[in-house]
Amino acid sequence: MKILLVEDEKQLVKDVTSALRQEGYVCEVAFSAAEASDKIASFEYDCILLDLNLPDGNGLSILESVKAQGKSDGVIILTAKNSPDDKVRGLNLGADDYLAKPFYMPELLARVSAIIRRKRFDGNKEITFNELAIDLPGKSATVHGKILDLTPREFSLLIFLVANKNRVVSKHAIAEHLSGDDADLLDRFDFIYSHIKNLKRKITEAGGRDYFKSVYGLGYKFSA
Amino acid sequence: MRLLQVNLRGSLAFSLILVLVSIPVSLLSIRALLNEEVDESIAAQAEQFIYHVKGFEYLDDLETDLQVLDKLSSNIHIQPSDGPIRENYRTLYLYDSIDHEEKPFRRFEKSILIKGKAYKLVVRMSLVENNDLIMTIGLVQLAVSFLLAAGLLLLNRSLSRRLWKPFYKTLDHLKAYELDKNQSMSKEKSKITEFNDLNTAVIHLVDRNREIYLQQKEFIENASHELQTPIAIFQSKLDSLMQSPTLTQSEADTIMELELTTQRMARLNKNLLLLSKIDNDQFMDKEDIDISALINGQRDFLVDMAEPGGLKIESYLEKLTIHVNRALIEVLLSNLFNNAIRHSTKEGVITIVISNRTVSISNPGQGRAVDMNRMTQRFSKDSRDSSSTGLGLAIVKKICDSAHFNLAYEFRNSIHTFSITF
Repeated sequence: MKILLVEDEKQLVKDVTSALRQEGYVCEVAFSAAEASDKIASFEYDCILLDLNLPDGNGLSILESVKAQGKSDGVIILTAKNSPDDKVRGLNLGADDYLAKPFYMPELLARVSAIIRRKRFDGNKEITFNELAIDLPGKSATVHGKILDLTPREFSLLIFLVANKNRVVSKHAIAEHLSGDDADLLDRFDFIYSHIKNLKRKITEAGGRDYFKSVYGLGYKFSA
Repeated sequence: MRLLQVNLRGSLAFSLILVLVSIPVSLLSIRALLNEEVDESIAAQAEQFIYHVKGFEYLDDLETDLQVLDKLSSNIHIQPSDGPIRENYRTLYLYDSIDHEEKPFRRFEKSILIKGKAYKLVVRMSLVENNDLIMTIGLVQLAVSFLLAAGLLLLNRSLSRRLWKPFYKTLDHLKAYELDKNQSMSKEKSKITEFNDLNTAVIHLVDRNREIYLQQKEFIENASHELQTPIAIFQSKLDSLMQSPTLTQSEADTIMELELTTQRMARLNKNLLLLSKIDNDQFMDKEDIDISALINGQRDFLVDMAEPGGLKIESYLEKLTIHVNRALIEVLLSNLFNNAIRHSTKEGVITIVISNRTVSISNPGQGRAVDMNRMTQRFSKDSRDSSSTGLGLAIVKKICDSAHFNLAYEFRNSIHTFSITF
């Protein structure tokens, strides 16, 4: 699974690529619009992470040319210029998603994995992880074929953690993911603990293993 | 008092005083002049009479003739007198048997010697005509003065009104001007140099202020935008640190604290951007939004936030649909909800009610009312809570102002209630 990161901020590139590679993606980088255009023309990518403010041009023009070439690459716009106009224009031009800076790395990974699932596994929208199977359109999960009785928030939390498997996901990232974009977050994380506890209980009761590991009160890690 | 009135009042008072003083003065002086004329005339008559009588002194029966003359003449009387009298002029009123009224006369008295015998000569002249003349002059003067005053008054008023029109127009424009809404002020053309100067100066001032205002607004927006990337880098570095397999508890604690700080920074920045976007009217797209459905949608998150702390959430929602920008109404409601959760006493009930196009959010709180004006200003916050950015209620206020919603606050029985009427 190949991902192209179009971003001129070197520090950010370093962290994003290392996180993506850790998740098993092949990640290439373009530091300018020209470089990005070259790479997009020569290779196929599953997902393009596109910064709108590039030193040699607006990222939206790259998006236009991707769509004009009839490429099926999934595009996530990353931008510091979080204006409603840009968001609407980007989505209208055919971007699959829009993520405003600053973002949490787990959020980016979750969005990337959602795009890739949509592009790659057309028809087969199920994620499996050992005995755990998640049916995305049906919004349900099973352990050894047994359906788990999950609330919508537990389900959403499960997908988020699975998309970030083997990584430490901070409580802030989880809270922001669950609360959505515009919520002026409160520093209350007790609810995450109770959701994780319930999720853990439901999975183990159905005969699954305990994949949730708390990391020093910092966050959680979903790993085998 | 308006300038116009002051102006008119001044000139009117001056005219009135002038008229009131000038009429009697002129009448008195005319009268004095006329009396002088009359005195001269009767003195001349007397001189002439004496001259003629002296010419007839050779007649023996002159004394009888004088008696006859005294009887016949109405204006000249001559009678023997006992002693000498001083020459004098007097104004007196005599009864007129024809008109049956007193009439004014001027009388001249003098002693003369005829044939060694003393006589008193009296010459008089009617003043009726003179008085009529003075009266007429007075009336004409009065009429002219009043016409002049009235004319001046009207003329001045209409002239001033026309003259000051550009000034009042400029004033109206200034009153209606809002720095954050209007573009510039339209120039009022006037023939008066001073008004043109004033207009130019005002327009210059307004344009200059607007320019500074726009620059400042742009600066805030740019600064917020430019901060986004460094914060993003910071956040991604923290994420990398978190993935370290050799993480210790104390390192994890530090990372957690750093992440909290970064998040506050990010949130602060986001809220500042939001405020400047509302200022820039960047939320133009409106749609019909079912408020009760929106609140129900946010409920999950509310419950997540409230329940672990022992707070309950109750809602009584009528169906309410309003035409508004979706992003703004979402921010508006979530800020009010967060505010209610943040400032609630533990183990209370937060109540959300929709009725009569009004959304009310009540939370049990500390024992005193907050000052709304202060709380809706940027960065004014309750010092007890460090997680608040101090922008939540400022944003609520800004959204209400920009969308013309009415925001009200009430504190009763230890319950704070914020209501928004759409």
